[in-house]
Parts: sequence; C-alpha cells; structure tokens
Amino acid sequence: MFESMLVFGLVNSATLLLLSLGFSITFGLSGVANFAHGGIYLLSGYLAFFLIRTIGLPYFIAVILTIIITAFLGAAIYKLVVIRVRGIVLNEVIATFAIGICILELFRWLGYVTYEYSLPYIVRGRFTVLGTTLDYQRLLIVVVALLLAVFVWYFTHRTKTGMALLGMAQDEYTALAVGVDSDWAATYSFAIGGAFAAVAAVMILPLGIININLGYEVLLIALAVTVLGGLESTKGLILGCFILGYAQVFTSTFFAPHWKEAVYLLAILIVLAVKPSGLLGKFKELEERV
Amino acid sequence: MKKKVLCVLLMVLMIFTIWGFSGCSPAETPATETPAAETPTGETPAQPAEGEPIVIGIPTALGSIEGRDGVRAIEMAVEEINNAGGVNVGGEQRPFKVVTIDTREHEAGIPIHDALAALERIILTEDPHAILFGAFRSEVLLASMDVIADHKIPYIVTTAMTPEMETKIAENYDEYKYMFRMCLNAPYLVRYLNQMMDYFGSEFGFDKALIAVQDVLWATGTGRGVEAWFNNNGWDVVGFDVYPTGAGDFSSSLTKARQGGAQVIVPIFDMPQSGILVKQARDMEVPALLAGFISPAAPENAWDVFDGELDGLINFIFEIGPLPAAAVPKSVEFNQKFGEKFGESARLSLAGHAPGPSYDSVYVLRDAIERAGSLDGDAIVAALEETDTYGVIGRIRFDENHQVVYGLDPEETALGGAFQWREPGVRVPVFPELIAEDDIQLPPYM
Repeated sequence: MFESMLVFGLVNSATLLLLSLGFSITFGLSGVANFAHGGIYLLSGYLAFFLIRTIGLPYFIAVILTIIITAFLGAAIYKLVVIRVRGIVLNEVIATFAIGICILELFRWLGYVTYEYSLPYIVRGRFTVLGTTLDYQRLLIVVVALLLAVFVWYFTHRTKTGMALLGMAQDEYTALAVGVDSDWAATYSFAIGGAFAAVAAVMILPLGIININLGYEVLLIALAVTVLGGLESTKGLILGCFILGYAQVFTSTFFAPHWKEAVYLLAILIVLAVKPSGLLGKFKELEERV
Repeated sequence: MKKKVLCVLLMVLMIFTIWGFSGCSPAETPATETPAAETPTGETPAQPAEGEPIVIGIPTALGSIEGRDGVRAIEMAVEEINNAGGVNVGGEQRPFKVVTIDTREHEAGIPIHDALAALERIILTEDPHAILFGAFRSEVLLASMDVIADHKIPYIVTTAMTPEMETKIAENYDEYKYMFRMCLNAPYLVRYLNQMMDYFGSEFGFDKALIAVQDVLWATGTGRGVEAWFNNNGWDVVGFDVYPTGAGDFSSSLTKARQGGAQVIVPIFDMPQSGILVKQARDMEVPALLAGFISPAAPENAWDVFDGELDGLINFIFEIGPLPAAAVPKSVEFNQKFGEKFGESARLSLAGHAPGPSYDSVYVLRDAIERAGSLDGDAIVAALEETDTYGVIGRIRFDENHQVVYGLDPEETALGGAFQWREPGVRVPVFPELIAEDDIQLPPYM
C-alpha cells in the first residue's frame, strides 16, 4: 500500500504540476491571473481531438499544431481583451474568467457533453516500479512535468527574455525604465501559458475522456497549488503540487475518494489564513492580486 | 496596422476552429419541438392527425447520453404514432407534440432547485398533458414528486432509479399517484447483480469483491444492496468507495482491489468520466473482473472510444432495447428503426439505460389516453395502472406502487440484461440465460 501511494502520489503531483504550470507562469511573468486557463486547457483537448480523430492528422503534427494554435490563442486573449483592462486587477480577473466560461460553455452549447471525446495514448505499455504497475503514459506525465518545471526555472533565471519578463512582473515601472515593453511581456507570458495548457491537455487527457467540467476543475487545481506554493515561485509551485498530490492520494486511500476534492479548498483556506504569500512566496504585495 | 492584421487573422483562425468543431460533433442537439405535421419520414401518414396537440413535456438532462437517446426514442415513437393517425381522445384523433427543457442535472454542481425550476417552467409555459422521461437524478425525481402532485400531471420516469419513489407512493397514494416508472429501479438492478455474483461464486469460486460507486442516490443504494448480499453470502468486501460526480482518478480503489485480492470489482456509475476506471484498471494490471454499470462503456461504439481497453468488462444494459435480443423481437426492430432514423453512428452510441422504456412510454401513454377517453390526469392515471402490453423492454405491467415489474422472462416481465466486451470489440450478451449467446469468460489478464 505504501509503495503504491508513493508511486501514485508522484504521478498525481506531476499531473497537478502540469495542469498548473501554465497558470503559474502567466501570473509569474505578467502579474495577470489568467482565469481562462481551464477553458484554454479544454479547448486544446478538443482541438487535438479534432485534428487527430476528425481530420486524421498524424499524432505528433496534431500535437504541435495544437500547442502552436493554443499559444496564439493565449496571446490573442491578451491582445484583444486583457490589454484593455490591464492594471485593474478586478477587471483582469473578471475578463479572463468570462473568457474561460465562454470557451467552456461554447463547447457545451456545441454538444460536446458525452463520453465520445478521447485522445489516444502517446505511448502504450506498462512497467513495474516498487511493486506497483504503472503505464508509460503516466511516466511520461511525470517526466514532462519535471522537464517543463526545469525549463520554466531556467527560462526565467538564465535567459535574457525570461529575466526581462520576470522583471516586468516584479516591478513594471522599473522594467519599463530599462526598455522592457510591458505589452510584449504580457503577450509573451499569455502565449507561454496557453502552450503549457496545451501540453498538459495532450499529456493528461489520453488517460480519460475530454469533459467540460474538467475545465472548471483545472482552474481550481491551478489556483490551489499556485496559492499554496507562492504566486511567483516555481519552487513553491512544485512544492505545492507535491503536498497537494500526496495529500489527495493519502485522503482517498485512507479516508474516502470523495474527500479528495475537499483537499484543494482546504489548502487554499489554510494558506490564505496562515501565510497568504504561499509557502515560498516572497512578494507581499502580490498577495493582494488574488 | 500589423497588429490589426494579426488580430483579424487570429479571429479568422478562431472562427474556423469553432466551425470545425461544430462540424465534427457526433451529438445532435435534440429538437425542442416535434409537431405532428413536421415529422418527415418519407411515408404518407395513414390518417394525418390534425387536432389540437397532446403535449408531452420532457424536463431532463439533455446533455447526458441517456437524455439524448431517450428524447430521440420518444421523438421516434411520437412520429410513428402521429403518422399512424395520432391518438384517439374520445373519438377525436389528436397528434402528440414534444417539448423539452434541459435541467443539466447530470452535471457536477448543479443544485436540485435548478432542475426543479426547469420542471416548473415547462409546466407553466407549455402546459403539458403528460411528462415522459422525467428526472435524470433520483434526488431530483423525489423533489419533483410534490410539484407533480400539485399539478396532477401523469409522469412516467425512464431514468431515475431510486425505490424511494415507490415508498412515497405507498405512503401517500392520493398525493403521488401520478408518478410511474418504466425503467429498472435500483432493487431490481441489485437482484440482477446478485444473481450474477452468485454465478461468479459457483462457477469461478470468487469470494472477494470491491464496490466503487458514484456519489448519487441510486448508485450508492445499489452498491449498498450488493454489499449486503456479499456480506450475507460469505464474500469478503475489500472496499466500498464512493466517488463524487466528475471524479477521474480511481487508483486508490484499484490499489485496494489489487492488494485485497478482489476477484470482482462492481462499478456503479452514470458519469462520462467513469470510463477512465476501466482504462486505469488495465493500466494498473488489476487482475479482477469488472462487472456492473459504467454508462459510457455500454454503447456499441465504446470499444473504439476507449481504445480497446474494455476487454472482459461485463456491463449491464438496464432495459433491453439498446442491446437487441432475439427473445424480444421488438428490441431488434427498435434498433433497426433507430439506425434508419438517426443514422448508424447514433445507433452505435445508444445509451444502455433509458432508450427502451422511453420509446415504450409513448405507446403506454397513448394506450392509456385512448382507454381513458380523455386527457384528465386522474383518468389517465387509472388507465395507466391497467397497462398490460408488450414493448421494446418486454412485458409492461405496473405493480401497485407504479414500478414496472422486471424479471428474467420477457413474456412475463420487462427485461434487463448484461453483455461482456470481447475482442475484437463485440458485445456478447451473457445474462440472463434467455438472451445469453455465450457463457461469461474470464479475460486474459485474470
């Protein structure tokens, strides 16, 4: 039982990480909480479904196209909508949340509500680790999640573009003073967030089916782990994912599966009450942005 | 300028994406109205019905596969009846007309009062003479009973399964006599499942099971019923796990099943995400037979949807109809007609619960109205109680608490059944004996 919890806790944590990286990076780099993240995630899933199952494109071409299109969509959300309310935090939240709802409910309206939408596995097969059988798809989720997290850290700490974006999030006026274009930075971060949502979708959705309610769940997950870990901290995000991931597996194994959902909400409540900046959050002023 | 061009290009891209999505959707939105004169079949009506329509209200979860197919089945029956001259109400031929409203009650987080508001709206705005299909969720059904009692409208439910409805009718007949159920209820499902578990015990020597159910009234009730049978018959229940609607990770139950040595997993779910359970069980190589009800695994096209991971799964079809059985000729005919009307892909995705009794409910209502000779609610109820006919689901008779009687012989009762998924993606009927085409076989992973 313990070994199984260890393995599935890791998978669950990696899944949470993959689901929340897009949301976290957009906030971390632009200071805008993109509440359309769940909608973008779901749209990527349906887009991949459309390209693979309906048009019949080869899998990897479809995946790359999905990521590119979703990145453009992320950028478009900023350029067409968010730019007009930039700086007014409440309006940013309302605007992105509304876009997310529109995307999700559009698919409901189009009739995408049954079990018939699923993506094929990227890799098939199973192996045994610590006495627990695991499939390669879940292993791939763990690997990709960790790679993306490393990429995010490297990008924001070791590349000029990343540091410019990070600077913009930390202090917009100072960054402007040294020549960083605020709109460029935000567009870029929304595009990266969109692309990450697409990566998460094509990795995770093959395990099950594409369902509209997932969009709402993904937003809740992203919000919970980001708040728990610290809004601007990649390390905090990873830590938050591992805490929540293992807490969920522990809860559903030793208590009951339906308590698992309560873990997110409980985590948000506890963190906001005890340490509003999150476990590894540094910037107190950012606390007020959520 | 460049920015504007970029924006326009993005808009065009989005429009094309949405257009593409709408074109590839396999689910057709059910029609909101099906007036008699607008039901093209290519056939000349024997005696066109031209009187004032008899309104059938359908307040239910239209986005569920059961709701979608139930409404289609009702529309098909309405079209047949209208084309054959309609309903004889005291000497006047009148057509049926269907009106629907989406309660969305199958979705996670939709409160019961929202579904009730939809029910009240359709009653107040459309003034239906009868309600068919009805509530999707048992919780909504029970709450609807008082609304129906106020309006005195005959109500035939064909999805929600809680036996609490019968209990309430027995306790207060005058108030709740308008409620009828034609689909399987949870106690009948428990009986079917228990018979199957008994077979597993005697045939394969199984004595350990895990039960995983959705956190909704009918599913937990069914699970508890099966658990009681296990406990009374010397089985070891290694886990009873309840999942919220929308849950998508079943690894904790599967781990318990594997480590507890469960030979059978009894899943009871109606949510689309429950198909993940089967895939995850295969991914984790859990050596247990899945036997129960997983709504998305019931349709004929589920094998492809779940990438062939359903091998060995035993799934119930609550009412014969979507699983054509030679012992019930009308079920074969129903499948054929459904495919002709809605297309082969629609037939392949027929839900395992609701289409059969929904189709039959229209004929049962027509017969009751004709026997009553009026559209008075009390008169129709009295006539419905006398129903004794044969339909897609077998013989249809209501018991004293307005539940259609289910059993193993379609000559005597209505019939439910079960099939086993086998390579290369076929559903082999295995239960009950009358419709079984083969014995239950243990899958290769056991």
